Formats: sequence, structure tokens, C-alpha cells
Amino acid sequence: MKILLVEDDRRLAQEIAHALREENFAVDIAANGEDGQHLGETESYDAAVLDLGLPKIPGVEVLRGWRKQERHLPVLILTARDGWTDKVDGFKAGADDYLTKPFRIEELVMRLRALVRRASGYGAPRLSCGPLSFETQTGVFELDGLPLKLTALEWRVLECLILRKDTVVERSLLSEKVYEGDVGTDSNSLEVIVARLRRKIGKALIETERGRGYKLSSGSR
Amino acid sequence: MSRNASLGRRLMIGAGVFITAALVVAAVLIAFVLHRFVQGQIDQRLDAQILFLSSMLHADGDGRLRLAGSADGPPFDRRRHGWYWEIAGPKNVLRSRSLDAADLSYPDINGRPPPPPPPPRMEDDAPPRDHPAPADGLGPYGRGLHFRILNVSTPAGPATIVASSPREAVMGPLWEAMRTLALSLGVLGVALIGAMLIQVRLGLRPLERLRHAVAEVRSGLRDKVPEAQPSEVQPLADELNALLIQNAANLERARKHVSNLAHGLKTPLATLAISLQKHPTGSNDLHDLVTLMERRIRHHLGRARSAALGGPLRARTAVASRVDDLALVLDKVNADKEIAFVNRIPPELAVACEPQDIDEMLGNVLENAFVWCRSKVGVSSVEEGRSIVLIVEDDGPGLSPEQMSLAMQAGQRLDERSPGFGFGLSITSELTELYAGSLTLDRSELGGLRVSLRLPSSG
Repeated sequence: MKILLVEDDRRLAQEIAHALREENFAVDIAANGEDGQHLGETESYDAAVLDLGLPKIPGVEVLRGWRKQERHLPVLILTARDGWTDKVDGFKAGADDYLTKPFRIEELVMRLRALVRRASGYGAPRLSCGPLSFETQTGVFELDGLPLKLTALEWRVLECLILRKDTVVERSLLSEKVYEGDVGTDSNSLEVIVARLRRKIGKALIETERGRGYKLSSGSR
Repeated sequence: MSRNASLGRRLMIGAGVFITAALVVAAVLIAFVLHRFVQGQIDQRLDAQILFLSSMLHADGDGRLRLAGSADGPPFDRRRHGWYWEIAGPKNVLRSRSLDAADLSYPDINGRPPPPPPPPRMEDDAPPRDHPAPADGLGPYGRGLHFRILNVSTPAGPATIVASSPREAVMGPLWEAMRTLALSLGVLGVALIGAMLIQVRLGLRPLERLRHAVAEVRSGLRDKVPEAQPSEVQPLADELNALLIQNAANLERARKHVSNLAHGLKTPLATLAISLQKHPTGSNDLHDLVTLMERRIRHHLGRARSAALGGPLRARTAVASRVDDLALVLDKVNADKEIAFVNRIPPELAVACEPQDIDEMLGNVLENAFVWCRSKVGVSSVEEGRSIVLIVEDDGPGLSPEQMSLAMQAGQRLDERSPGFGFGLSITSELTELYAGSLTLDRSELGGLRVSLRLPSSG
């Protein structure tokens, strides 16, 4: 799961990014509205965390820009102003959720997971695919009812696949969702991660579509 | 007149005094002219009588004056009626019959003691006059008389011919004329005062309209007073509009400052809160402190924002559309919940509050309702005189009486897991008080909490 964080306060951005990475999220940071607008329009993210009080371009304008460019990623707005008017403006511009500063990081993580789940078209918080199940609220994968221990990269790949289960996920999309913007993507290492995942959850679950990508299959063909 | 007396009254009193004075002066002048006219008529009559007498005068052998015929034609034939004549010669006195043999005492026009009995006049003292002189005095039967006196020379020596008319002969017709005149002047005065009242009314109407416009600005029906005004009122309207713009700008600036202050304080606080979570030991205590700081900041920023709007101007905000906007936010945030939201507020219903404050009050209350409801949230309104009561209710668990009183205390959060509960209520309560309204909690017929916000109605 890859998140775009648009926040001008460097320290707060670092703290949020750090905490989100602890939860296995990939995070790209934009320090102003202009960069945020650009990244949101050019890269593929599962969700964005957008501060409303941004330099250069205000948060609401950034959001409006994304929606105009048909970028439908779920957006959570951060506001230091308790103002409900700001929230209403944000939602009218296309926001999906809000948090008022200061907030607990667990709250942010929980909201982001729910947003991404809903954006993927799932109503219930628990997804399953054969023996594999994913608790979207906590981010925990279980195999046959037992918790699965995964590295951050493995988690990101598996989460991306399970949210799109039974469809082929393009290799390029997968690497976009797994690697942060400043890390060079290496498709070889994607192969390595998938191989490691197959060892953990069983070979049959992840199918390779040659020349295209991977598919997490519920096995009910 | 005191400086703050009504302008209309000043104009009316001024014009009233002027009109009355003008009418009185006119009445006096007309009376004077009329008096002179009537007097002139009477004098001509008397002078004719004197000429007639003088033409008939002759002396007998004894040097006594005699008249050649009767000179007692009307009105000198009526006894004791004031129409008299008398001729005082050197040796005898001739009188009209109307005198009934009484002496006609009249003022002496040459400053001598009055005859009769007239001593023979010294010739040098009484030069004959060719024109009768006027005089006024009291006649023989206690009647006020007007005299015309002429000294003539006769074959018997100098004589004085006096003719008199009763004073009523002048005053009677004069009073008669004055009564009609006074009535006409009175009607004229009433008409003038009526016209003046209408003029003052019409003249002051632009001021009344301006006052109305300012009242409408205050109640939020318009944002400035109309610019097209009579040239005398135009500068006042311009100044008022400038003041309104300045006021709005100040309000906006104060809001922005508070907003920036909120941003400036809360961003580092958010950083601190998240950093603390990395240090498990003692982090709970420290996090409580962060929470406390957050509440204090929110509380005082709320106050500051409220103080910034404590100006004389009041806004007008239609409630229904704000509720729809807030529901859009809350519906999306609570997308996992099937919530039937009903907004029963009529579209035209408006309260005299700033839109941001309505958002803040209803946002906090609605947020609680959406978080705590099972499946239903309703918003409705009741108009009570000059107040409007906005009611937000849900079908959630509701609050016990103890919880209700706790919820109203600033900074109480009844459930740490759900954001803002309780604290939002106390903020909302403070805001309603700012608008001289109130917030009350009780149980809804839906089963959950019912929050009633009493706010001033607009218009």
C-alpha cells in the first residue's frame, strides 16, 4: 500500500512517514502543494494524506486539481483548523475522510486502511482468498487462521494482490505500489519477493501471468 | 431643544412657530388696515356732517349762532346712541337732539381745558382749521366716542363744530370682519401645518429608509446599505458602507490570525503526539498531557474566534444547506455504517449566526450523532418567537443524566475512542451562549440523544 503524504511541516511529515512505514506502508512525501499536486497526478497511490494549510497551492486546490485530472485515489485531509467549514470545503473538493491535528497515528492508520479497502470495492473489513485472509483494519494476514509474518515489501505485494484478487496485477503497477518514489525499482527484486511469498503461503495462490504480472487466485476455477 | 431630540419634531416645531407667527402678524396687519378703512368711512360721514353744519350756520342779531334748518337727519336722530354733534359758539351752544340736552364733552384739540361751557376763545389760540381733527373720549352717557372737531370762524366769532360717532360704529364691523378673517387664517394655518407635516414626513423618509437598511444589514438580510441615495444622505450611506467593509475585513483578518495560530500550535503538537508514541515508557501520561494541551488550545482558540466576531454585525445563515453539507462529510466518513439521515429543516429557515459558527455547532453535534447512532439521525427545527430551536437526534444508546451533565463540562470526553465526544458539545454550548442561545440535552423519541440548540432567528 502506497501513500502520498502532502505536509509542509518537515518534522511532522517525517514522524507520520516513519509511523506509516512501521505499518508496512510505502510513503512518498511532498512538502508543498505544487509537488503534491504533481506527484498525485503522475504517480499511482492507494491513498493520499493531504494537509489543508500548504504553501504554494492550498490543500483544497491540490485536491480539486487531482479530481479534475480524474485521479480518484481516496484522500484523507489533515486540518489544524477545527473549522467544519474547512472540512466541508475539503469534502466538496473530493476528500473522503478527515483528521484534526493533533491525532493518534493509530487513528490515521486505521482510517487509511478503511479508505483503501472501500476504494477497492470491499464493504466488509475482512477479505479472504482461499486459505489466506486479510484483516484490513489491523493489516494482519492469516493463513489457515494463523498470523503470517511478513516483511514490509512482502506485505505490500500481498496486500496489493489481495485487494485485486482474481485479477491480473500488472508488474509495473505492482512495483509502483511497493517501492517508494526515491527507491529505484528493480523488477528482479519483485520476482524475489513473490518467490519468498510463495514459500510462505503456498505456490498455488500466486499465479504468474507471463509478460504481464501476477494474480492472487482464490483457487475456485 | 436637546441635541438628540427628533429631527422631525425640530422641523415641525420650527415650522409651526414660524407659521403661527406669520399668521398672527398677518391678522394684526389686516386688522390695522381694516380699522383704518372703517374709521375712514366713519370720518367721512362725520366730516360731511360737520361741513353740512358749518354751511347752515349763521348768526342772529344777538351774535348767537343759529342753524338754517334741521341737521338731525339719520343717524343723528337717534337719542343717546353716540351719533351727536355740537356747535360751541362764543355765546351759545347748539346740540343735536340725540344728545338729549346733555353736554358733549370732548378732548380739546388745542390742549386747553375742554368746553363746555366754552369761554370765548382767544382768536390767536384757535386758528380756524379747514380740516376736522380726530379725537377719542368718553361721551355723556358713558359711551366711548370718536370725535371729529373743526374750528370755524362765523359771523358771530370763532366756533367749534364737533361730530361724534359711537366707538362700536368702528369696532362692530371690524369685529365682524375679524371673526371671518380669523376663521380663514385658522383654516389656512391648519392647511399649512398639514402640508408641513407631510413635507417633513416625505423629507425625512430617506433617513427612515436608511435606518431600515442598516437594520437589515444587522439582521443579515443585506450586506450593505443601498448606494443610490439623495445627495444629502449619500455621504452617510457611503461612510456606512465603508465602515461595513472595514468591519468585515477586520473580522476576516482576526479569523485568519486565529486560524494561523491554530495551525502554528497544532502542527508541532501533532508532531509531539506522534513522537511520543515511539517511546512506550510513560507515553500514556505524556499523551494525556498532549490531549490536555489540545483541548486547552481548542477551547481558547474557540473563544478567540468568537471574540473576533463579537462586533455589532450579525449574519444570516440558511441552516438546511449547511446541514446537507455537513451530512455529506459525515456520511462519507461513516461510509461503513448504513445511516438513514433525514433533514427536516425548511430550506428558507435562517438563523442570525455566522456560517462558520453554524458549521461548528452543528458539525460537532452531528458528528456525535453519526458516531453513536445505530442507523438513524434526524435534524429538525421549531420556531419559537424570535428563536429557532435546531434539534439533532439519533437512535444510539443516548446518555444518562450524569453523563449529560458531564458532557457539558469543557474538556470532558466521555469515550476516548470516539473523537470529540463531549468536548464538541461543550464547544457548541459556548458558541450558542455567544449568540444568547442555549444547548440542552435529553432523550430522543428515536431512543438516543436529542440535542436542542436554541439560536436567534434571522429577521
